[in-house]
Amino acid sequence: MPKLTVNGIEVETPPGATVLQACQMAGVEVPHFCFHERLAIAGNCRMCLVEQEKASKPVASCAMPAADGMVIHTDSDKAKKARKGVMEFLLINHPLDCPICDQGGECDLQDQAMAYGFDRGRFEENKRAVKDKELGPLVKTSMNRCIHCTRCIRFATEIAGVEEMGATGRGESMEIGTYVEKALTSELSGNLVDVCPVGALTSKPFAFVARPWEMKKIESVDALDAVGSNIRIDARGSQVLRVLPRLNEDINEEWISDKTRFAIDGLSRRRLDRPFIRKDGKLVEVSWQDALETVASMMKRIPGERMAAVAGDLVDVEAMYALKALMGSFGSGNIDCRPVGVALDPSVRAGYLFNTTIAGIEQADACLLVGTNPRYEAALVNARIRKRYLKTGFKVAAVGPKLDATFPVEQLGEGPEAIDRWTETLKAAKNPMVIIGQGALARPDGAAILARVRKLAEETGMIREDWNGFNVLHTAAAQVGGLDLGFVPGKGGRDTAAILKGCEAGEIELVYLLGADEIDTSRLGKAFVVYQGHHGDAGAKRADVILPGAAYTEKDAIYVNTEGRPQLARRAVFPPGDAREDWKILRALSDMAGKKLPFDSLPQLRKQIVEAHPVIGAVDAVTPAAWGNFGKEGPVDPAAFVYPIEDFYRTDAIGRASPTMAECAAVKAGVAPGTPMGGKTGTHG
Amino acid sequence: MAFLDRGARSLLLSELVSGLALTFRHMFRPAVTLNYPYEKGPISPRFRGEHALRRYASGEERCIACKLCEAVCPALAITIEAEPRDDGSRRTTRYDIDMTKCIYCGFCQEACPVDAIVEGPNFEFATETREELFYNKDKLLSNGDRWEAEIANNLALDAPYR
Amino acid sequence: MANLLNNYLLPLIIIVLEILAIVVPLLVAVAYLTYFERKVLAAAQLRKGPNVVGPFGLLQPLADGLKLMMKETVIPSGANRVVFIAAPILTFTLSLIAWAVIPIQAGVVLADINVGILYLFAISSLGVYGIIMAGWSSNSKYAFLGALRSAAQMVSYEVSMGFVIVTVLLCAGSLNLSAIVNSQAGSYGLLNWYWLPLLPMFVVFFISVLAETNRSPFDLPEGESELVAGFFVEYSAMTFALFFLGEYGNMILMSAMTSILFLGGWLSPLPFAPFTWIPGFVWLFAKIAFVLFCFLWVRATFPRFRYDQLMRLGWKVFLPLSLGWLVLTAGVLTAIRTWSGTGG
Repeated sequence: MPKLTVNGIEVETPPGATVLQACQMAGVEVPHFCFHERLAIAGNCRMCLVEQEKASKPVASCAMPAADGMVIHTDSDKAKKARKGVMEFLLINHPLDCPICDQGGECDLQDQAMAYGFDRGRFEENKRAVKDKELGPLVKTSMNRCIHCTRCIRFATEIAGVEEMGATGRGESMEIGTYVEKALTSELSGNLVDVCPVGALTSKPFAFVARPWEMKKIESVDALDAVGSNIRIDARGSQVLRVLPRLNEDINEEWISDKTRFAIDGLSRRRLDRPFIRKDGKLVEVSWQDALETVASMMKRIPGERMAAVAGDLVDVEAMYALKALMGSFGSGNIDCRPVGVALDPSVRAGYLFNTTIAGIEQADACLLVGTNPRYEAALVNARIRKRYLKTGFKVAAVGPKLDATFPVEQLGEGPEAIDRWTETLKAAKNPMVIIGQGALARPDGAAILARVRKLAEETGMIREDWNGFNVLHTAAAQVGGLDLGFVPGKGGRDTAAILKGCEAGEIELVYLLGADEIDTSRLGKAFVVYQGHHGDAGAKRADVILPGAAYTEKDAIYVNTEGRPQLARRAVFPPGDAREDWKILRALSDMAGKKLPFDSLPQLRKQIVEAHPVIGAVDAVTPAAWGNFGKEGPVDPAAFVYPIEDFYRTDAIGRASPTMAECAAVKAGVAPGTPMGGKTGTHG
Repeated sequence: MAFLDRGARSLLLSELVSGLALTFRHMFRPAVTLNYPYEKGPISPRFRGEHALRRYASGEERCIACKLCEAVCPALAITIEAEPRDDGSRRTTRYDIDMTKCIYCGFCQEACPVDAIVEGPNFEFATETREELFYNKDKLLSNGDRWEAEIANNLALDAPYR
Repeated sequence: MANLLNNYLLPLIIIVLEILAIVVPLLVAVAYLTYFERKVLAAAQLRKGPNVVGPFGLLQPLADGLKLMMKETVIPSGANRVVFIAAPILTFTLSLIAWAVIPIQAGVVLADINVGILYLFAISSLGVYGIIMAGWSSNSKYAFLGALRSAAQMVSYEVSMGFVIVTVLLCAGSLNLSAIVNSQAGSYGLLNWYWLPLLPMFVVFFISVLAETNRSPFDLPEGESELVAGFFVEYSAMTFALFFLGEYGNMILMSAMTSILFLGGWLSPLPFAPFTWIPGFVWLFAKIAFVLFCFLWVRATFPRFRYDQLMRLGWKVFLPLSLGWLVLTAGVLTAIRTWSGTGG
């Protein structure tokens, strides 16, 4: 425990801390560019110079280990002069193009130049010019602005796990780039924009769109995968312009996936903004009154057992609760929140959660992936596994087709028979874990595989008082919430497969699709289909009545992530046109159908949800789930697992509507090479 | 004596008479007014009149959509929307000034890094309808084209004091 | 038939023509008084005044009149419509009918009645009714307060005005306006007129006239700084124009009255040729113009009185002063008569 003095304040630091961290602990701000607490130390920007007594030169505080008895001054004349000198050198080659730079207003260099720089430049010669690099459709480059902090290189190498970025040349000819002109192949590439302290790497879809001060900033959560990344939504007027990560050490640290960050342009496209009714095979715009009346009259006419409801991937807890209550009031048990038919049931909560928790991965020392590709299914879980891998002493094995993982993986086999091949390693590990994915569960024999993995977990010592190594990795934000609510077939009720079968057989006359685009709509037969959702996707195409709902940025809603952590999404903008929050639509419909639901406001609704399902009340916390008996032992089909996500960028209605995601997918598939910048240099504006 | 003096003064209305004399004298002095529409007073190079968006000599518009004027505008009269132009440069797709909100403080031209938005010497831009005072980019650019000579001259005159 | 024509119709036509001969020039004069006022005020303030409409802005009054005629007459929903409309008509009419007794020249007068001065005094006092009606019927607190102020002010200043007139009557020995003018004739010309012997009364009269016509510095009934526009705050277009005409007509009337009582009416200031060749109405016109100029001059010079100052001046200064001067005049006249032995 070294003790040192910073500006006269004595601090005690944990061993291995740097002088910079000691200064931060003392509450002293030290300007820096290259230092990033989640990346390796580089020590190449020299901005963090401080004066150390008895040292002949100022020291780079980010790279200097704190030692006992050090006396540090951050505001001495020497330190200030050193800083000013460094800043002047940085600005020698940095163009003064802040007015056309998208980083302007939230730029570290801009802020620090104001705080620590000279008030004028003395450099009269020409600045250097660097060719802009092509990094794909998400990251725009302006390499003149680069100050060579190498944060991007370190991020790509360490966090993203793609060793595609690097520096070429030395001194004035040093350039950051991808060696060959190619788009980054990471799902986390958007974070380069956040990591870059200057405007060298900026968001391409957001280019020149808005200034940080123009936008309303709303802290919310992401619903495009089951991780529940904490995000900050930047909106202006009626449009969501940008999504940034919000720090949450338990979930996403300070990263978010590219889908979370860039799929938002899908929110303003292909939206359902008016109620529609299908008349003579064509959807016609109608008023809310007409649309709701049509649905209500159908519901009154059709007996409960001939109605069914399916909830989709992006649905919030409130809407599912309201729909479940509505269907229940008609005596219908035909409800399901598992549109792809994963073999999970809500009887044992530990049986469908990511019990280890995402942060808990860092405690594990062996991990078995069963039918899951976390890189696409939950990019931030993948990042966490890689983070654990970098600490050494961590083994990963996978059951399923070959993974292009960002860490070394031992491929055990492609089908279920390989599950048991790693038992000895798991047994030997202190904290073993298994992650079972949708690829293993969304099969007819899913329940049997689940039972087998449960047995494996029990046998290999994964289930202990202090450790639960059994994990289910979901792909849909709605899934855990739906299971927590029990949005599954009631007694004698039908699940998704049975509902579809019933439709084909004409036994189900009304299907209520709550944002469910994942089911096979061609199998809905002659059923009267009500689609409530926000995008004109598969479900809306088949619908007889469309009730326009709100997307996750447009409502205050609860989402439960794959760990079973309920989180609050907050409304950033209003739903477009006549669209409304989903629970309100259901409440209005229930009134018209003569089965008025017993809540009038969101607080009332939430109170009822929490009373019925207390785990949902523990917002932002993971309630440990008791172990139990789940899964159903039975014969297992030896067929190979198929990973659920082929196209990372377009997993849902929002992503499918997003032009940015389409471009990313095209680049990834090698169809489009991205949009080359034509090798421009200088301030092209 | 003071009492008598004061009494006599008030009885003879001397103050009123001297006041009347003053106005009477003024009636024969030349008027200081300018005969406005026909005569105009001199205008300082710093005069802050009607707004204009300038262009470079090449015809390229100066505005780079940095939005500093929008940010600094205390009356929130400026609205800007931007996107990359086809050549990749940063340009406005919309540049509106609500002249009915504008308070002519000149902060926008102070904030502008490229001297694009300026308040020109024109102060005679009254309109018959309110809507005509909602200037858009076309109107501002055409103002710039129309007043460029004067604006450039004024900027040059004021340059030594900046 | 011829009898009827000779006895009734012809005099009627003549009377109408006579009335028109007075009213039409009067209205033109009112119009140009506004122009004159703006020009005088502008000159005092080193401005130019109206100069755009017509040569030297001479058509400005016509433009203003046209504008007022074109405008919409707004009658407030809470107003008493009949009284609201009647008030400006009354004010305007009263300012015109007083001219019946004003002698324009020796022997040239529409109605040469014996009690001319009494008639004039009565008509000018009636003017306050128009204002009170306007203030009351507008159903507006500003208008009402303005009207109250106006009423109190007029009543206050009429008292001292009355005494001043009595003083003049004592000297002239007649209530007939022509007789009053004639009594001022003498070999010293303008020095014979009553303004000199009755100088304090002339000043009191002039100031009271300012108050009587609601002119600056006694324009409290309008008092735009506190009452918006006073009693005619709700008036617009032609109803407003009638008030305006009435007020300015009153100003001219009062100037004529001042000229007759103190400035020798149509008499030439220098009672010898060639000045006596000039027709009398020109002199009267010149004197009226001079008094009007004084009105404007005062307006250009003095700020508005406070209301308590106004009342104090009327009751505590003018009333004792005019009363005292009346007694003094009467005493002096009696003394002269007694000593000179000329009775009557």
